[in-house]
Amino acid sequence: MSFAFRTLIKIAGLITGITGIAMLAPMMCAFYYGETKTAIAFVITCPISVVVGFLIFFFMKPSKHALKTRDGYLVVIFCWIACSFFGAIPYMLSGQVPSIIDAIFESVSGYTTTGASTLPDSCLSNSLLLWKATTHWLGGMGILIFIISILPSLGIGSQRLAAAEAPGAGLLSAAPSARDLSRSLYFIYISFTIVEFVLLWQGSSMGALEALINTLGCISTSGLFLHSGGVLFYHSVFVEIVISVFTLLASCNFLIYIYIIQRNFNMVKNNLEIRVFGMIVAGATLIIAVSLYATGTFKTFGESLLRSFFQVSAFASSSGYSIGDYSVWPTFCQGILFILFFVGGCTASTSGSIKVLRVIVMFKLINRGFYKRLHPRAARAVKLNGKAMPARAVAAISTFIFMYFATFLIFSLVLSLQGLDLETTLSATASLMSTTGIGFGDIGAAGNYSVFCPALRLFMSLIMLVGRLELFTIFLLFFPSFWNPNRAKIK
Amino acid sequence: MDLNLKTLLRIIGKLLIITGTVMVLPFFVALIYGETEAAKDFIAVIAPSVFTGAMISLLAPHSHRPLKMRDGFLIVSISWLIMSLLGAVPFVINGCIPNFIDAFFEMCSGFSTTGATILKNIEALPMSMLFWRAFTHWIGGMGILVFAIALLPNLGIGGQTIVRAETPGPTLSKVTPKMKDMARSLYLIYTGFTLIETLLLMAGGLSFFDAITHSFSTMGTGGFSNYNDGAAHFHSAYVEGIITVFMILAGANFNLYYIALKKQVHVLVHDQEFRLYIFIIGVTTLMMTLHLYFTHTFDTLASSFRYAVFQDASIITTTGFATTDFNLWPTFCIMVLFLLFFIGGCSSSTAGSIKVIRILVLLKLFKRSVSMKLHPKALFSIKVNDQPLPSDTIQNIISFVFLYIVTVIGVTLITLLDGVSITTGLSATASCLGNIGPGFDAVGPVLNYDLFSYPVKLVLSFAMIAGRLELFTLMMLFSRRFWNPAH
Repeated sequence: MSFAFRTLIKIAGLITGITGIAMLAPMMCAFYYGETKTAIAFVITCPISVVVGFLIFFFMKPSKHALKTRDGYLVVIFCWIACSFFGAIPYMLSGQVPSIIDAIFESVSGYTTTGASTLPDSCLSNSLLLWKATTHWLGGMGILIFIISILPSLGIGSQRLAAAEAPGAGLLSAAPSARDLSRSLYFIYISFTIVEFVLLWQGSSMGALEALINTLGCISTSGLFLHSGGVLFYHSVFVEIVISVFTLLASCNFLIYIYIIQRNFNMVKNNLEIRVFGMIVAGATLIIAVSLYATGTFKTFGESLLRSFFQVSAFASSSGYSIGDYSVWPTFCQGILFILFFVGGCTASTSGSIKVLRVIVMFKLINRGFYKRLHPRAARAVKLNGKAMPARAVAAISTFIFMYFATFLIFSLVLSLQGLDLETTLSATASLMSTTGIGFGDIGAAGNYSVFCPALRLFMSLIMLVGRLELFTIFLLFFPSFWNPNRAKIK
Repeated sequence: MDLNLKTLLRIIGKLLIITGTVMVLPFFVALIYGETEAAKDFIAVIAPSVFTGAMISLLAPHSHRPLKMRDGFLIVSISWLIMSLLGAVPFVINGCIPNFIDAFFEMCSGFSTTGATILKNIEALPMSMLFWRAFTHWIGGMGILVFAIALLPNLGIGGQTIVRAETPGPTLSKVTPKMKDMARSLYLIYTGFTLIETLLLMAGGLSFFDAITHSFSTMGTGGFSNYNDGAAHFHSAYVEGIITVFMILAGANFNLYYIALKKQVHVLVHDQEFRLYIFIIGVTTLMMTLHLYFTHTFDTLASSFRYAVFQDASIITTTGFATTDFNLWPTFCIMVLFLLFFIGGCSSSTAGSIKVIRILVLLKLFKRSVSMKLHPKALFSIKVNDQPLPSDTIQNIISFVFLYIVTVIGVTLITLLDGVSITTGLSATASCLGNIGPGFDAVGPVLNYDLFSYPVKLVLSFAMIAGRLELFTLMMLFSRRFWNPAH
């Protein structure tokens, strides 16, 4: 066993400290709105997290040897556990969340950008909503990259950490080093946040706090609900369009924006993933709109198109907003939305699920399957953006997709112990794994998971983590060879 | 276009003769039970198809070009469609299934060994029609063209190309050098099992007719029964036990039986696919038994086990018999069955779906990718039964499973156009594509597929054939690359 535990704990300490600092805004919010109990909760948690976190960070000596791959995986898990735990304390102390399990669920749902809840709508107070939105925002880009971008002082193998953390296949590297890359990513992320905040605040009847909460939940593709009935509450087409456009922007590959900043428009134009993502969103929107209009669900085609676009963008970006009750839509439309659970957004974005790039590779492999069966002896590489992909990357991607479906089925099996109908069970799993948050059947548009028993709620927190960290990060822990390097052999 | 159309024509000729010949059996059944109407209906198909077939065989020109993969796909797909079309005709003439699309659905379900039916009252059918339904399972189980190769020695075609396009599962080993010998030995084992099961079922008090039709259905892993309540009709644990055992036998690799018969039993016992197959059956049965017992779905542990093991074997072997309405079972059991929908039997069995061997390879891929994540620079090969798998085989398995997933999703969307629930659409599709039969919700074991509209029934019929022919064979015909070799 040769893990660099000291360094791992040091980093986890830093994360805890940052979690504490992030509590300052909700704390002030609690004071402002006179939520005494919640304010006390933050007053207790905030200093503890900050002090404990930074004490560990400053006084723990880092391990001498460099970080290895397996340390990278472990550090990610350490950090997520640390921030989820400290993030859960305010919910618990505020008394607004009935049990510790629900508090953990809220916290994990926050950091994984799922936006699911075990509580009825609009049950949390303003300050806690702001806290949840903040965790969404922090979790959005992965708190780890956050660390790399602001604290290069650690001087550890940051490339490796990024490989374990950043969502998606990560085939492209636009910026020379992980540090610069994540700095640019955060710059874009923050710009989007500010632009959307201003639009929502000035362009609608929302107050500043509500606009901020909506923005934080939208840019991180979480889909935080403030009101039952979803976004229809605002009665504003402008709000609907702003939210769906920004949630789509947040689920596009962020490297694209770097290219745009660098004025490298060729790379943008030729990017297959963005084009396919656009086609998926446009195609699904159109089909659902036609179906809604043809079945008379909505009277005008314009309304059908608007509703369809909003709901498709909510599913495709894995944010999980809802516009009205889509469970009364024709099952065909629901089927398309269900498929979007398994597509998700682009790589290097805040969205979850399989991701468009992998889906593209999957179809290319099917196409090659046809070719190979006609010409059994021919060799043929899978090409992406004109370049042949290395066999290793293809194998990794296809294994990931299989693993995703297998995990989906096994997790559904566990959730089926609750005895809810199949549709609810399957959609709950798909929704949590893809960090979407809303589902079908009993979960419905409100994304309320209180129908599950406490033990399963805890398990659902695990599902969200597994989905967010791209399966392997968590699964590796259950392999003996992870803990004992010399046993890595296939029988 | 360089398709070998001459050979295709000749094979179609032979196929027409074979179809006519196999229909002689239900014709005799009709005579025995004095169903003159039905007998006439069968003759009305037998006579013209044998005649046309003979004419084609006599007149069609010979081709000496060997068959390519492309020809194999076309021949196999067309043969299956022709068989299903012809098989449907007696039902329509007889009037017991008035609509042709319904009859076609029923026959696709028969030949693909699915066992999904659109009939509300099965017992109203004439005996001969019931026999024909079950018999299509038996023929379809081993493959129509494998059947042809086994029966007709001088077909003059490259058997391997066709067998590859028709046999379920990736072929990892060659058992006998000649396809003809292999086809024959497989059919011999198949017939042997069928006869033994018939005798054992008769010992359980079934009539010869019931015993043989249910044996056809079991060995072909089909699922058609002569009764509305299916295998539950007999109310006999013994009968259910026999059917369970033979379903499991039919879902295992027949090549292994061939080897085992040559006194190499250890090959069967040590086969990784067979072991995983038995392991999956054991674990899932145990889970369902306990869950059924502790949720008080059944009173005793014994009856929980009885229903659980039967249903488990019935679904994993893609037979689709039901001894109870599993729609009413707890969701956990339904979910276990739903998982089994996507596993299926072993390669070179009569079962459908993804097949255990592919699941095995996927599991090994998972394991390898974990090792690769920890040791990014090391090379790992994937071995089955201590033999390293060539990367081509792995690629084929990967593309198959992907295509399977995509097809399930695509066809489900089409079924949803009928406005059925997602559970109904998804389970009906998975069931048809996996050649299982019953699904959940509105297509549950005591219900039928009549609720779908005709276009959807047609799509599901194609899905059944596509699933039986392992997707690529039939779906190839819809690809541009197939018709334009330069593409």
